[in-house]
Amino acid sequence: MEHTSERLPVLKVRDLKVYYETPRGDVLAVDGITFDLYQGETLGLVGESGCGKSTAAMGILQLVNPPGRIAGGQVILDGQNLLGMSDEALRHVRWAKLALIPQGAMNSLNPTMRVRDQIRDVIVAHQRKQSGRNVQTRIFELLTMVGLPSRVYDLFPHELSGGMKQRVCIAMAIALNPMVIIADESTSALDVVVQRVVAQTMLKVKQALGVSMIMIGHDMGLMAQMVDRIAVMYAGKIVEIAPVREFFAAPKHPYSQLLIESVPSLKERKPLKITEGITHDPRNPPPGCIFQLRCPFVMDKCRVVAPPVQEVTPGQLVACHLYENSGDGSLIDVRDAARNS
Amino acid sequence: MATTKVGDVPVETTLEVAKVAMPRSPRLMGRFNRWDTPWLNSKLLAGVAIIAAILLIGIIGRMVWNTDLAFTAKSPLNLPPVGFVNSRQQEGTWAHPLGTENSGRDMLALLIVGAPNSFMVGVVAAAIGMSIGTFLGFSAGFIGGKLDDVIRIVSDVTITIPALMVLIVIQSLLRQVELSTMALLIALFAWPSPTRLIRAQVLTMRESGYVQMAKLSGASTFAIMFKEIMPNLTPYLFASFIGNATGAILTAVGLETLGLGPQRVPTLGGTIYDAISAAALLRNMWWWWGIPTVLLAFMFIGLLLINLGFDEIANPRLRQSSQ
Repeated sequence: MEHTSERLPVLKVRDLKVYYETPRGDVLAVDGITFDLYQGETLGLVGESGCGKSTAAMGILQLVNPPGRIAGGQVILDGQNLLGMSDEALRHVRWAKLALIPQGAMNSLNPTMRVRDQIRDVIVAHQRKQSGRNVQTRIFELLTMVGLPSRVYDLFPHELSGGMKQRVCIAMAIALNPMVIIADESTSALDVVVQRVVAQTMLKVKQALGVSMIMIGHDMGLMAQMVDRIAVMYAGKIVEIAPVREFFAAPKHPYSQLLIESVPSLKERKPLKITEGITHDPRNPPPGCIFQLRCPFVMDKCRVVAPPVQEVTPGQLVACHLYENSGDGSLIDVRDAARNS
Repeated sequence: MATTKVGDVPVETTLEVAKVAMPRSPRLMGRFNRWDTPWLNSKLLAGVAIIAAILLIGIIGRMVWNTDLAFTAKSPLNLPPVGFVNSRQQEGTWAHPLGTENSGRDMLALLIVGAPNSFMVGVVAAAIGMSIGTFLGFSAGFIGGKLDDVIRIVSDVTITIPALMVLIVIQSLLRQVELSTMALLIALFAWPSPTRLIRAQVLTMRESGYVQMAKLSGASTFAIMFKEIMPNLTPYLFASFIGNATGAILTAVGLETLGLGPQRVPTLGGTIYDAISAAALLRNMWWWWGIPTVLLAFMFIGLLLINLGFDEIANPRLRQSSQ
């Protein structure tokens, strides 16, 4: 999958901005993120709590509720820009092409409706002309696909376990064969065993249908196993995007390095590195780099100029001043350059 | 599967497995005993039984008892109930088992006609109030914005108006009050509290995961309102309706007891008013005011029990073990 040269971007996000209005200025929850999602690829979106992961997902889905608003950018799905689409047009595109596996499956199913009715509603809302028999077979098919026994068909959500509910949500997400599925921390409310089962279900479904997926989460271990590429967010910006192997082998952005170091290891006992400094007020980020207040390698330049996104190694995009164009087109680490000279 | 080689034993095992895994099986997974449901709790049953008994008196009574006796001068005056003696040493007769009052109305006939009247005024008023309240509360919660502001302010202001006082003024201005007029007037003050309740519930449900999911998955606004939110509101609607009906009956009876109810139609409150104004207490005619009072007390106890029963259904922590 990694070697296919004609990789088609299914979803293009360009400079997406989602702001929350407060009495003392806008909170820049998502401040200009740009990335591509290729066909059949899983992109992981990681970052600490409050860095804007879920808001970014809501922005892509056009589900931002007041006081939040989409302040700019483009979300191009299958050649169509979702921003500026009419509600009616959006209603047809969403779920048919772009589905969500929600954060809390516990609250995402209507307690008064049987599983069959909830899945049927999703299908019927988009594909009207259908016989009841067809829909029923389709629902059984979906349940089998996510590994649920067919008796679930007639049950109410409170009769299911957490993992089963999450899998019903997956079944609902794939009901219309979407092109892109956004999984917003879909496994974080489950215990590790069920987490594994649900993650495997997602992987299986993804491979069977060939959909692209954005996985949001902060479980680095799970990410390492599940995703093809990983994007690191910090304070509303993507600081690094890299293929998952390169990322875990050699993270380039100082924040990514700290993030990976924070993962506890089974083999060695190491002190938890707590970064100095605090996160800035998200209402008025400092000029220059957003990570300057916590960065161990901060330089004078970082406090003035925002770092541009550069391709440090093939496929690995980093926004950091530590990497500079050496003149012959290749990028070098400034720290190495300083040591050598 | 661990199969024994004994003839047909394994066959039985597989059959059982197949039965469990069979799609669309009737809900074997649910409760094993269908009588074991919170809807059959003793409070609710007792309450329903009391209210049903009162209504049945009104329905069956009309068939077996002459309801014309509920009007003036159809019977001898001031007779006591059977087994009692009045101040003139007259004994009660089976022709008028609950006695008569001082203008010759038969007490049993009064109860048969009056109890359903008082009850119906309350229920109709509560039903109208609930419908208005549900509609307004739903619109306020779901649509929000300016509409929400207006509805919220109007209902909050209306709640502070003492309803009974206003109703006393209006009813005393009207010469002739019909049962339906009274129901409408009471309904005028019965909508604000359901409005607030429904609005609050809709506001929380609108933000819940499943409504967001429905919105995201392309469900229409109509479907979201009536398929996603409405069923989840049902317990609140029930509880609110019973509470509202109790309040409305209380208001109706209060107005009747003050002599402001309908004059032509017998009602329980009206009977108490007549008894008070004819000095029944001094004349020791306890059956005149006592019997309607006891019946009213039972009506309220019945409604209270229904309310408590609904509470028990909605809140499992109030349930006791069935054994």
